[in-house]
This record gives sequence, structure tokens and C-alpha cells, in this order.
Amino acid sequence: MSRTRIDGFRIAGISTCVPPRRVDNLACGSAFGDDEVRKVVSMAGVRHRHVVDDGVTAADLCFESAARLLDALGWAAESVSAVILVTQSPDYFLPSSSCMVHKWLGLSDDCATFDVGLGCSGYPYGLYIAASLLKSGGQQRILMLHGETPSRFAASDDHSTTLLFGDAGSATALESDPVGTGWFCLHTDGSGYDSLIIRGGAFRERTPRDPRELMLRMDGAAIFNFTIKRVPALIAETLEFAGIERADVQAFILHQSNKFIMKHLARKCGLLDEQVPFTLEDTANCGGPSVAVTMTRALKAHSTPQKLMLIGYGVGLSWASALIDLPPDCLLLHDVYAESRPRL
Amino acid sequence: MTIRKVTTAAALQMLADAVMEDVASLEPGRLREEIPGWDSMGALMLMAELDEHLGLVLDADASRAMATVADYIAHLRASNALLEMDGDA
Repeated sequence: MSRTRIDGFRIAGISTCVPPRRVDNLACGSAFGDDEVRKVVSMAGVRHRHVVDDGVTAADLCFESAARLLDALGWAAESVSAVILVTQSPDYFLPSSSCMVHKWLGLSDDCATFDVGLGCSGYPYGLYIAASLLKSGGQQRILMLHGETPSRFAASDDHSTTLLFGDAGSATALESDPVGTGWFCLHTDGSGYDSLIIRGGAFRERTPRDPRELMLRMDGAAIFNFTIKRVPALIAETLEFAGIERADVQAFILHQSNKFIMKHLARKCGLLDEQVPFTLEDTANCGGPSVAVTMTRALKAHSTPQKLMLIGYGVGLSWASALIDLPPDCLLLHDVYAESRPRL
Repeated sequence: MTIRKVTTAAALQMLADAVMEDVASLEPGRLREEIPGWDSMGALMLMAELDEHLGLVLDADASRAMATVADYIAHLRASNALLEMDGDA
């Protein structure tokens, strides 16, 4: 059973950014039909999507989020001892995107740097890895980056994905702290690996006969089925593991998958409206980084730590939670990607 | 999780709500492909209805296999979600 309590870390800051190009889904009627678009917008809850221009990648979005965060925290580049970049939208098969971000940020060659290939469950997984590294010793400050550009792999004639996905990057700064604690529950069901899949382009099928196989295939019914079966159990498991009640949690930060699914989950789990922030109306389903985007966009300043349950679920099939206390002095930054940061 | 039982009429009403169709038009032999609202989105709505009202998780394969209204009712019966005293759809 993959349940872990990890002591000795805190989140010092979270920074997110989205591309400046903002698409109004209701203006997409000519492509998909006005009624169909209205129906999807109403059900999925995505009115606007921020999408990257050609040539802009998840690594770019993560770099800008990280540069802003380091500046705001006053962390020197040489003080960062590890970078983890969680993404399924890498720039290249090799090298790892994290190595490029390492260069652009001017980090030290004493810094451990690697990518993690996870999608919608990536935020709690990334936190778990970062917290584990801090706990294991030898690390003081870690950047956990999580970025995705799903708009780049949504087929333009597939309204079920094109109207749903936006892009975002995030950077979360973690550091050693004797009083910080997190509870993590991590799960996988590989039997559903093909429910969300890009079949072509990688080494299983490098040049698919059907170019459509270079784009995302989503079995919406299977994903919904997985979600309503797994996520309520995950929430209950995490509460029970930490020995707390639903009411003890200020906010359940759900991956912003789809408003209809999220509302169903909230009702099924007995969560109050004020415990479940929604941000996908303007920033869409931007994959796993939607957890970070929801924290930076929806959380209000608090004078005491906020107990948050962060929940990611989707491609894999993979699902995970992190129960954390967000310190009151944690920096929360959200902005538009401006490509204005100098790269080293 | 215990599955809550409903009458056939209530089950048909759930289908009607999910696919945005008049319940009176949901004859047993009516084909799914003749019901515009019973598309991929309608199927999700139906999954949500069944989960919320009956505690029944309809898996994706079973959902796709439903070709008629009668198939839907038959699935509920096989899942022990219909009250026995109730008539057939």
C-alpha cells in the first residue's frame, strides 16, 4: 500500500503561468456547430482556454514560473539542490526538459535534475518525490516544476478534447522545515493505460500510418467511470490515513478535469461548495498543473496554515493525493507567460 | 456499496433526464442511435445519474453495449437495481 507520511518539509511558494492567447470556446461554433459548443461549454465548464503559440513548450512555461518564483522568494540559483520537472509534453525525447530549465535558470552543477513522466496525477506525485528527497537528507531546497501543453496534442476536429484543454506551467518551491508534514496516497491501474493515449510518435510506433494517432485519444466514458470509482475512495483513504475529517480540510484542490465530473465528485464525497474551488472556466483543463493553477488563482491569504488536500487523477490510469498544511507566508503567484525572462 | 432499487418507470425517467428526451418516447425497442441526446455526453450523464441515485457504477463497456432502451433496463435488472414487482419495460 503506497501511503506515506513525510515530515520535515514546507512549501515556500507556488508560481504558475498560462499563455497569453485566450480562446473563447463560444467563438468556436463555426468549427463544431453552435449547439454542440454550447453543450460542451455548459457541461465541461470551460469557457476560455489559454493556449500556447507554436514553439512554446511546457518547459518554457515552467521556466518562467520558476524564474518569477526564485526572484520573489529571493532564493539564489546556487541554493537550489534539485529540480524535478513533471510533464508529458516534453520538448524532446531526450534530453530531459528539466536539464534545459536547469541551464536557463543558471543552476549549479551540484543540482540533481530529472523529469517525471506523469500527467493529471503529477502534482501530488511531484510533491511526494520532492518531500521524499528533502526527508532523505542532502537536499535543502527543491523546485518541483509541472507543466503541460495538452492543446498541442488535441486534434483540431475533436471537440471533446479541443474545447477542453488549455496549457499551463508551474513551479513549486519546497524546503526543509522541521515542523512541516504531508500525507500522500499514490495509486495506479495500468489496465486503463489506453483510455487516454497518444499511440504514435514514440518508439512503439514512430511514424503511424494514420497521422491522427499523433494526437490524443480519449475514452471519455472509461475516464469518467474510473474517476467516480477511484477518487471518492482516494479522498476517504487520505482522510482516514491522516486521522482527520472532511471538515478539517479547508479546500480540496481537485485536478480541474471537467466541471460536470468535479461537481459529481464533490456531491458524492459530501464536500461543501466552498471547499472545492473551480478555475477551469478561464484556464480550462490544463492537465496536472491545474492543481497548482487552482491554488495560485483561488486560494485567499490566511493568517494560519491552510490544510489542503491536493488530488490528481487521469492518464495512466494514475491517481494520487497529498494532504498538506500550506504555510500562511507561502507565496502564491499567477501571471501570463510573457517570454520576458532572460535565459542563461 | 449497496445498490438502491427503483421502479422501471423511475429508471426510465433517469434515462430521460440524462439524454434530455421525453420519457414517453422511450419505448423499449427504441434505438439509442435514434436518440440525439444519448451521445457520448448523454452516456456520461447517465453514468452520473445511476451513480448518484442508485449507487450503481456503470462501466464504459456496458454503457457502450446498450443499443436500445430495453438494453438499459435489462442492465439495471441484471445489476439487481429494479424492484421485482415492477413490470417490464
